[in-house]
Amino acid sequence: MSADLGASSQVRAEEVAVSWRPSRHARRLFTLAAAALLLAVLTRNAALAGVAGPPLLLLGMARAGAGGARAGAGRVSVRSPGRPDRVSVRIGLTATRVYEGEPAAVDVRVQDGAGQDTAAPPSALPASATVPAGRPGPAERDDHLDARHGARWTLEPGKGIEPGSATAVNGPAARFTFAASRWGKRALGTVTLTLHDRWRLAEGRVTFTLPSVDCYPSPAVQRTAVVLSKLPNRLGEHRARVPGDGTEFMGVREFVPGDRQRAINWPASTRRGRLQVNTFAAERSQDVVLLVDATSDVGKPGESALDLGLRGAAGAARAYLDARDRVGVITYQWGGAHWLAPSLGRRQVYKIIDVLLTADTGYARGAVFSRLPRAALPPGSLVVAFSPLLDGRFVEALRDMRERGVALIVVDVLTADPPARRLFADVAARRIWRMEQDAIRFSLRELGVPVLPWDGVTALDLPLAPYTRRPLMARR
Amino acid sequence: MKEHKLPVEADAAAAAPTASASAPRPAPPRAGVASAIGSRLAALLLGAACIAWTATPVLPGGLAKTALTVAIVAVTAGALRLATADIPQPEDAYFLPGYLQAWLTFLALLRTLAWEETAAVAILWLEIQHPLRPWHTAALGAGLLAYLLTTHIAESGADAGPLLRRQGRVLAAGACLLAVGAGFAMIPASAPGAGSAILRVLAAVAVIAAAALVLPG
Repeated sequence: MSADLGASSQVRAEEVAVSWRPSRHARRLFTLAAAALLLAVLTRNAALAGVAGPPLLLLGMARAGAGGARAGAGRVSVRSPGRPDRVSVRIGLTATRVYEGEPAAVDVRVQDGAGQDTAAPPSALPASATVPAGRPGPAERDDHLDARHGARWTLEPGKGIEPGSATAVNGPAARFTFAASRWGKRALGTVTLTLHDRWRLAEGRVTFTLPSVDCYPSPAVQRTAVVLSKLPNRLGEHRARVPGDGTEFMGVREFVPGDRQRAINWPASTRRGRLQVNTFAAERSQDVVLLVDATSDVGKPGESALDLGLRGAAGAARAYLDARDRVGVITYQWGGAHWLAPSLGRRQVYKIIDVLLTADTGYARGAVFSRLPRAALPPGSLVVAFSPLLDGRFVEALRDMRERGVALIVVDVLTADPPARRLFADVAARRIWRMEQDAIRFSLRELGVPVLPWDGVTALDLPLAPYTRRPLMARR
Repeated sequence: MKEHKLPVEADAAAAAPTASASAPRPAPPRAGVASAIGSRLAALLLGAACIAWTATPVLPGGLAKTALTVAIVAVTAGALRLATADIPQPEDAYFLPGYLQAWLTFLALLRTLAWEETAAVAILWLEIQHPLRPWHTAALGAGLLAYLLTTHIAESGADAGPLLRRQGRVLAAGACLLAVGAGFAMIPASAPGAGSAILRVLAAVAVIAAAALVLPG
């Protein structure tokens, strides 16, 4: 999976201090030596003193090595060559914006504080020395760094981040692949770099916080589009009901001066005895406003009503923008309504998704649509609402919009039911709730608002099919 | 539903060539318990071997049985800790069901306690319950050191070859010290004569060899 993710781009480089302390291995050796010595004294068994010998020797060598390195370093450099005091870490990401479930990777690489790989043997490569021909460069000396310092990276993934590779990697550089399971701004977590000394009895730890990524809702599949019967007078790709300069044949009429000669329909002219010209349908675009109800988020995380609403809205935005329509978005939530005026172009997809990412459920005063500026909801626009229809005020707002003559389609994204329990009161409450939901949907249909249930798994084309085959009549 | 890929940001694309030159090797797919299974299994086997080595012949005493039980529990728990080292600890376990919370508590217990240290002390304690057997104790010391070293290799994922090559001289010196200890332990038991003299000479040679190996140069 990680092989085709491509190269990463550096998002951060920082130099940090390394704090060295005895490793777990050192503590174990010390315990073994201390226990063996104590038992040797108590039992007067020289063989047990011999058992304490190897661990004590290792601990002593490590201590002597560290002391010698520090003393040697004191003459020429502040830092100890065996145990670097500072390291420079570079963090790169293959993508800072991903869709749900899309794999991405974070690359981490360590160098010593002077900007060289800590692999370089300090005595072999002084600061002023140049690398002679044939000598391995810093990138080629990675194995040395691994051997000398035993660099080990451990990833602690953040909330909602699923690691796609090993979470612990040895070496001076590592790549961790991951995928975000749910939309939102996701912190990738932390990476801990552990360095060891030659004897692996002292370890230096540095913990870095990885950058965040924007995880976009995975857009639903929608290839067809609902087109209004009455389109604004703006050039586009939808066939209008009025004649114009499009390419789709509409009919034949009598020639009048000023008509183009190439439009003459000669067979029809021969039959009727008078010159006839072909007429073509005009091609127009429409304004589409996606209305996302973020007041209720029910259902399992990842399949909740809000998840489905955002995925559906993202898919619809892409489908209508591909059809050269102007698309805007309104997210209705307790804190108010966020909106983005309809516009064209691929960039608008990302603007819309950025607005969708701000959707959050939480209690506050409800928004009122009459306060929205005209630019957010242009007259004559098609409104596609994604809602579980659980909030009464949102349903009232839909009714109000319909009564004002807005062409409206509601995609019902409610896929969760209240929990089924055996108690009579619970059963009755569940039945009443279901009847209430049916009543809400019935009342909207009575007003001429199609309510189309969508499960989030199938393509959006399926519930929209009855309305994509012919233009949608916008009636008052 | 994921047929489109988001474009990489412009500044990111500009920086890509420099990063691609030294793109790190991707980590292998997550293997969980199966990763580094060799060294983990080796640690378990060495721990079991140390217990078996020191427990035979089985002593009837209560202290010996307690030490044996503690050693078995500690080695088993240490092996379980190594086997479950790849399982991440979730950041927020509040909403998890009860059995998962119990599992996470068990994992935390495995990772918190010092099982290897406990095993080493228990095995040494078991060893002193037996009558004096110097060479047996020296071999146990080597086994315990190998157990701790293998445990470290298993938990750190270090390459065993280079690590042992770097520490080879010190480990050889340590073996000499083990031999010296065993030799000294045998001296009082031997009757005066040629045997004792040979042991003393062997001990002196071991000390000299250890010093030669350890001294820098």
